[in-house]
Amino acid sequence: MGATKLSGMQKQVLSLYRGFLRAARSKPTTEDRKRIETVVSTEFRKNSKEVDRKNFQYIEYLLRLGHKQLDQLKSPDMVSISSVKIN
Amino acid sequence: IMASGLVGRVVGTNPSRAARLIPSRWTSSKAVVGAKLKTFQIYRWNADSPGKPELQDYQLDLKDCGPMVLDALIKITNEMDPSLTFRRSCREGMCGSCAMNIDGCNGLACLTKIESESSKVTTITPLPHMFVIKDLVVDMTNFYNQYKSIEPWLKRKTPASVPGKEILQSKKDRAKLDGMYECILCACCSTSCPSYWWNPESYLGPAALLHANRWISDSRDEYTKERLEAINDEFKLYRCHTILNCARACPKGLNPGKQISHIKQLQK
Repeated sequence: MGATKLSGMQKQVLSLYRGFLRAARSKPTTEDRKRIETVVSTEFRKNSKEVDRKNFQYIEYLLRLGHKQLDQLKSPDMVSISSVKIN
Repeated sequence: IMASGLVGRVVGTNPSRAARLIPSRWTSSKAVVGAKLKTFQIYRWNADSPGKPELQDYQLDLKDCGPMVLDALIKITNEMDPSLTFRRSCREGMCGSCAMNIDGCNGLACLTKIESESSKVTTITPLPHMFVIKDLVVDMTNFYNQYKSIEPWLKRKTPASVPGKEILQSKKDRAKLDGMYECILCACCSTSCPSYWWNPESYLGPAALLHANRWISDSRDEYTKERLEAINDEFKLYRCHTILNCARACPKGLNPGKQISHIKQLQK
């Protein structure tokens, strides 16, 4: 388990991640659930590696963006989310 | 020269590398003799490129540009720096999209004239104390949610006297709504209120309270008592300390502070 104490911002990120996974569980089909989980987990893991821990402005910006997307996802009309990679 | 810079930025992969290519000072490509050059300092911040927000200088020939700040912004975006991001729609002061802070005062860019004194620098920044999404675009969701929370629609307990027809209102009662129905929700007033800066989530702000008064004063609405009780809160209403920056900032000439004091009078 994490021996070091988590900072407030880290707790916020983790609670957002948990929120996404909980929203995914409420979706009708298992396929939708898996798709949401993979998209969300890849996004979070990618950002955890690429974004500097001390770049508070960018992390807060991503947190706000994530919360808005989570509110959209929670509505029962939304079935799944997807992401596209543009090179 | 400008065109190649443009292509490089659109196709380029690494955003931070492209950001370094942008020179810190832009000038209009037409360097005409007798041109009246004015410098605009515009707030720039991009989440994708690293670094803090900055004020970038742009020089424009005022003789070649429309009179309003929005004309200058559009000209800069079209000719000099297409990455400049801002909201705009009607260009006539009706939609409220282009609300921003120009030379320290909140206002609509389409209604604010460019100060013709070319030696002075015009500073354009986003609405104060709002989260910035990019450059001059701010996050308005909290503002809109507060407007939604006052339930800005007609609520009746009894059906209309003639079912299927309009609910009648005398001219005198309709005149009570003047000074409130014209509000375009541009957020200039709320973002100029220091009380709203310090408590944006709990204080409703002058715009939402103006609209609350609009529905409280509407003779056709039958939920007046419930509306007054809903906002009769230490934070929702009484954070207003009659600073009256809202009346100064409103681009439509409305006085939200006056409407708030009207609500306070109605609260017993």
